[in-house]
Amino acid sequence: MNANVRKRDYWGWIKGYLHISPSIIGFGVFVAYPLVMSVYYALMEWNGYNKPKFVGFDNFRYLFTVDPVFWKAIRITFYYVLINVPASLVFGLLLAMLLNRKLPAIKFFRTAFYLPTVLPMIATLTLWKFIYHPQYGLANHVLNLFGANPLNWLGSERLALMSVIIAGLWQVGGGMIIFLSGLQSVPQDLYEAAEVDGARGWIVFRSVTLPMITPILFLQLILGIIGAFQSFAQVQVMTAGGPNNATALLNFKIYSDVFGQRMFGYGIAEVWILFLIIMVFTVVTYRYSNRFVHYENDNR
Amino acid sequence: MKTVYSTRTVRYATRRSKIRKTDVFRMLVLLVGTVAMLYPLLWVVTIALKGSNDIFSTTPDWFPKEFHFENFVKGTEQIHFWRTFGNSIFIAIVSTIGQVASSILVGYGLSRLRFPGRKLWFSCFVGSLMLPGFVGLVPVFHLFSALGWYNTWLPLIVPAYFGNPTFTFLFIQFLGTIPKSFDEAAKMDGAGDRQILWRILVPMAMPVVITIIIFSFNGAWNQYLEPLIYVVDQSKWTLSVALASFASNWTTQWNYFMAADLIYMLPMLIVFFLGQKYFMQGLGSVNSAGLK
Repeated sequence: MNANVRKRDYWGWIKGYLHISPSIIGFGVFVAYPLVMSVYYALMEWNGYNKPKFVGFDNFRYLFTVDPVFWKAIRITFYYVLINVPASLVFGLLLAMLLNRKLPAIKFFRTAFYLPTVLPMIATLTLWKFIYHPQYGLANHVLNLFGANPLNWLGSERLALMSVIIAGLWQVGGGMIIFLSGLQSVPQDLYEAAEVDGARGWIVFRSVTLPMITPILFLQLILGIIGAFQSFAQVQVMTAGGPNNATALLNFKIYSDVFGQRMFGYGIAEVWILFLIIMVFTVVTYRYSNRFVHYENDNR
Repeated sequence: MKTVYSTRTVRYATRRSKIRKTDVFRMLVLLVGTVAMLYPLLWVVTIALKGSNDIFSTTPDWFPKEFHFENFVKGTEQIHFWRTFGNSIFIAIVSTIGQVASSILVGYGLSRLRFPGRKLWFSCFVGSLMLPGFVGLVPVFHLFSALGWYNTWLPLIVPAYFGNPTFTFLFIQFLGTIPKSFDEAAKMDGAGDRQILWRILVPMAMPVVITIIIFSFNGAWNQYLEPLIYVVDQSKWTLSVALASFASNWTTQWNYFMAADLIYMLPMLIVFFLGQKYFMQGLGSVNSAGLK
């Protein structure tokens, strides 16, 4: 009897592991293996063809002291993340609040704001590249309409990164939809209670709406940070990192070092730096989140 | 009591008219915003329909004046569009099948089968979502190259067959709402795991399965970095790479480019309008699945 039960158990184990084996293999090949190998490769001089040659921390030394673009890339990446993420959150939330009302044609408005995020990324990026065309692009046509001087959106060192960020805001509908569902799940009786207490406008927002959606806000913040630090296609398609590396986000630099210059070991060293930065940002946000994120059923 | 009641009604009445005013303001802001969101798309259409001589006129046309539908033919000829389109469709469909099937299989294993280490693996899979995607890029690139997969579609398709943690998580969440008595009843009738999963649970979980299918297809259709680094031959390119390269040339015939770009957008637009419900539903859950 006992042996019989045992036997069935073994079969249960095997069955279980067979079912999850795709993900175990995937985890091994796409997560564990690269992580381990990255530690090794980061210390090597390696172009992808030759036998990796051990160089100790030379990659990192070169990165911090010699590489003319590295610090610039770091600065640009921070600049990009620190503008892009808050702007997406604020505009997304504002839009959601505007749309969270029974108005005529509200469905149409919601769809219109969401539509751009449905399009394939490369389709929108190439589209924006043409919108920013100095002579024939839509952006300068619009400026012209208001009597302003045309700008060299992607061609000027000062403006290029900002133009990339503005193009990204076309996709603000993604955050908007998530905030909208968050706003709609705020219990109506809280608003009624606030009204009875005589709270109005800004105060209702500050003390009812905002606390109730902080979990969503926080999640969007973390995902936004992780995503923004990894932005790559935006600048690869629109500016190719230029002009004069003014839009060389770190992830784009990694891409061009690895697949352009064939500096595999060096690129992996840079990956570690970027990884570390993301980790620090995520952990700090988590730590800090306890102070402002309100969980309804707080069981921590 | 009565006086309180009456003052409140008065207050409500005055507020109601105020709300109307703010609603008008709201509508105005929304209208402006909507124009800003949709006009770029209309602009694409106007350019896609322009004749080759008109595209470089410096006085903008805000609406199409003439309709050169032949651009959709000529534009697509420029980059062997239909072959590339076929490549993208093939890759997207084959990877979607793999990703959906493997994610469902793993989800079933993790939520319905009992075996030691289940929780550990679950946290491994979910935890791997936190890992920035590019960490694996170079070692995996080297691995696939060593396997002789460089300049093939295998690196774009095969990874999809090893489950996707987000989709697995979504499926598990939905399975949690289906009582186990369904499984047990089926087991009584002699159904094995395969029948329980594919004949009973998957049909019941259709809303979430459709969401997973849509997002999986969307992801494959959007894929850019992988085809960019793995696929060299133009004949094997996907649309994302082909269009990015088409656009990298400033002297490009814009009208042709925009026509091709519109066709590239089309499948996603169709999926969106057909499956809007699932799209919206999935979006919230795909996003919140990220970190829970």
